[in-house]
Amino acid sequence: MNALETPRAAAPAEHPPRFVDVLLSEFIKLGSLRSTVSLLLAIVVFGLAVSFILGVTAEGAGLPDGPSVGFMLDQVTIGTVLFGQLLAGVLGVLIISGEYSSGTIQSTLLAVSGRGTVLAAKAVVLFLTVTAAALVAMFGSWAVTYPLLAALGIEVGLTAPGVLSALIGGSVYIGLSAVLGSGIGALLRSVAAGVATVISIILLLPIVLSVLPASSLVRNFHLLSMSKAGDAMSSAPDDGGIFMDLADGYVSSSAGWLVAATWAGLFLLMGFLQLRRRDV
Amino acid sequence: MIEAEALVKRYGSKVAVDAIDFTVRPGQVTGFLGPNGAGKSTMMRMIVGLDRPTAGRVSVNGRLYHEHRAPLREVGVLLDAKAVNGGRSAYKHLLAIAATHRIGASRVREVIGLAGLESVAGKRVGGFSLGMSQRLGIATALLGDPATIILDEPVNGLDPEGVRWVRTLMRDLAAEGRTVLLSSHLMSEMAQTADRLIVIGRGRILADDSISSVISEATRSVTRVRTPDPERLMATIAGPDIVSSMLADGAIEITGLSAEQVAIAASAAGIVLYEVTSISGSLEDAYIALTAGEVEYRSSNSSGSGAHK
Repeated sequence: MNALETPRAAAPAEHPPRFVDVLLSEFIKLGSLRSTVSLLLAIVVFGLAVSFILGVTAEGAGLPDGPSVGFMLDQVTIGTVLFGQLLAGVLGVLIISGEYSSGTIQSTLLAVSGRGTVLAAKAVVLFLTVTAAALVAMFGSWAVTYPLLAALGIEVGLTAPGVLSALIGGSVYIGLSAVLGSGIGALLRSVAAGVATVISIILLLPIVLSVLPASSLVRNFHLLSMSKAGDAMSSAPDDGGIFMDLADGYVSSSAGWLVAATWAGLFLLMGFLQLRRRDV
Repeated sequence: MIEAEALVKRYGSKVAVDAIDFTVRPGQVTGFLGPNGAGKSTMMRMIVGLDRPTAGRVSVNGRLYHEHRAPLREVGVLLDAKAVNGGRSAYKHLLAIAATHRIGASRVREVIGLAGLESVAGKRVGGFSLGMSQRLGIATALLGDPATIILDEPVNGLDPEGVRWVRTLMRDLAAEGRTVLLSSHLMSEMAQTADRLIVIGRGRILADDSISSVISEATRSVTRVRTPDPERLMATIAGPDIVSSMLADGAIEITGLSAEQVAIAASAAGIVLYEVTSISGSLEDAYIALTAGEVEYRSSNSSGSGAHK
């Protein structure tokens, strides 16, 4: 066997990694593992399945008198967001801590030594693919429940006020849950610890906060949790003009966007600092 | 060209690499040799920026690793053949790495062919033997056609054909003017592949020279003589720095004199010699001599049985 088909004499063209190259690399990695692809598909499948079941059993849920945006959104978003946020969070953890457990992080950082660049590329690829999967789940859920609600005479179209913003908001929330997960993955580097932490933060934290034996104001801090932000983002926005009122227990959907983005951004930042500080 | 200056790596109070200077030059194969835990891998990880030195610096082609704009074009690295996600195919693994430097799929297929992995390129890496993983690791290192190649224990787990392939490949890469640095604890492999050796133990450099110099400086050449009159011969050649001892089989082992010098001395004294043999050390002897006392994990009784022949 010959050593090298292309001798060194033909000096290679230098192509320093650009951010889009790193994005493509991360996209290839995401798409070439059964685990990550399965989680993306699961976001769609679980979303559609739960929404369909809720739609089929809608009659038992206390039907509204006529078409109601709120009622329809409950059918469509609750299951999709509930399962989507957890699946997305786990996917986010996996995308980085999976590299540590397998050792792939070595090749990743040898090719792109800027650790911030790597983490940013992972976060962008995650956010885009997960949000895309969540959009399919959300709009698909609307589509599969539409004929079921129509049979009851309470169907709501996409153009009804607040519907589009709620479906898109819920999808973006699921995308941000994945980013949160990737920050936790970079912080902890262990798949098991990362998954446990992301589930605790998304699922457990609001519950624990809301049952604290403290003043109602303190308890209302649970409104600042990740999953409450998800509820707000996937609801039709009120035109009341109030952004957030903790004492009154109200979070507007735009406040939800801000809260969820802050959570995701904060953990991504902590993950970055940890990544930069430690040896691989 | 790899240059280390006063390189130190400490983990807490444990010193893994202790103020090391060395230079790895292009156009030759340089071997990193040392017992387990000597600091070989730590040193290689510092060269490519995966571990940060506690003090000192190490540069590749004049720059720190992370200062290279297109690092895969400069340095090809194999540190741990098993450090690949087992769920991914070899082809996708290479493709993802290649994408960062806009290296095309044709080059990916080329290195797959070069490493002899065509038939398994689409298979998931989890099912690879250690030897196949080593081939994939070497393919990864060659992806960017780099001027410097760093391989940590590349022949581990390879079959004899694979070992020979790596040896030829390293020699060819060096002949093309590239800098080749490989580590191994396999002495025979080093002796056949490397031009130059850097022997390390407990984080310090014990020897840094050509293979033949390392051997000649670390081992004693012994002259073995058989004569019917050993006492008279030993008296004749006696002198400062000359040690002679009688072996169990009646032969004499002399250090400090060459075979020629012994023969001439014996002839002048009229002593008959049946046999005069010059015995020089092997790389293995040199290695054992150099690393004696530097071995971190020694089996408790090995020194007792190994020293006497």
